[in-house]
Amino acid sequence: MKVLVVDDFATMRKIIKNVLKQINIENVLEAENGKHALTVLGGDTVDLIISDWIMPEMTGIEFLKACKSDDNIKKIPFIMVTAEAQKDNIMEAIKSGVDNYIVKPFTPDKLREAIDKAKAKVGK
Amino acid sequence: MDVKFINPFIMAAQSVFKTMLGIEATMSKPVIKTSRTTSGEVTGIMGLVGDRKGTITISFRDKGALFVYKTLIGDESASINSDVVDAIGELTNIISGQARKEFEKAGVNLKAAIPMVIVGKEIELNFITTLPIVQLPFNFSVGNGTQEVMYLDFSFE
Repeated sequence: MKVLVVDDFATMRKIIKNVLKQINIENVLEAENGKHALTVLGGDTVDLIISDWIMPEMTGIEFLKACKSDDNIKKIPFIMVTAEAQKDNIMEAIKSGVDNYIVKPFTPDKLREAIDKAKAKVGK
Repeated sequence: MDVKFINPFIMAAQSVFKTMLGIEATMSKPVIKTSRTTSGEVTGIMGLVGDRKGTITISFRDKGALFVYKTLIGDESASINSDVVDAIGELTNIISGQARKEFEKAGVNLKAAIPMVIVGKEIELNFITTLPIVQLPFNFSVGNGTQEVMYLDFSFE
């Protein structure tokens, strides 16, 4: 499985990569915001997107909307990561087609569960 | 100090240690600090404002900080460098975020700033408030029978 991790903080990308490694997912691409992620997706195929919420240039929600309105990438399971379980944000993400979300801090098991649910939602 | 200001920090620290680092952190007796300086050698600092205001710091000795870096990121570092500093900053961010969630449950809404990290012993800090600083020491194992401490210091009003 190839995963695209999108977060403006390099350290957070490393933390997520380390959690993914603990559930045996080591093929990881990185992007520092939604705009950069779209460029990555234009040149590579991934099986899962894990994106932060608040990022400069293009936020997680804007990136989610861009993904879900693109026929080529809308079937890729999309998980949003947030530090706070803010109901309004989560509702907006659900309306925009997010396949699952996960609240920091999370364990490898919780991430595995979130990935499985997101994959099931898009029928993968 | 009202106990409702202490519990969110205890719960946040222990929960983040368990989820992000996969280890148990055991708190020893809280201390009222007589100095307003950093407790360890690598210290994340976060200001909190909103219904209340205050500052929390998350501080490790070098060995503890290197262990946290290794466990959180999966890489080893022999010395304190910018990557280790960033990791302690992110840990501070996550612990304070978790504490804010616990405060919300008690009806106290807070916003956080971006964490800063300083490296060095006994560096003077501005804790925003003039109240005493409470130090919560959390002990954790770094393997081979060795214990390290994370100091969560806060002053809150």
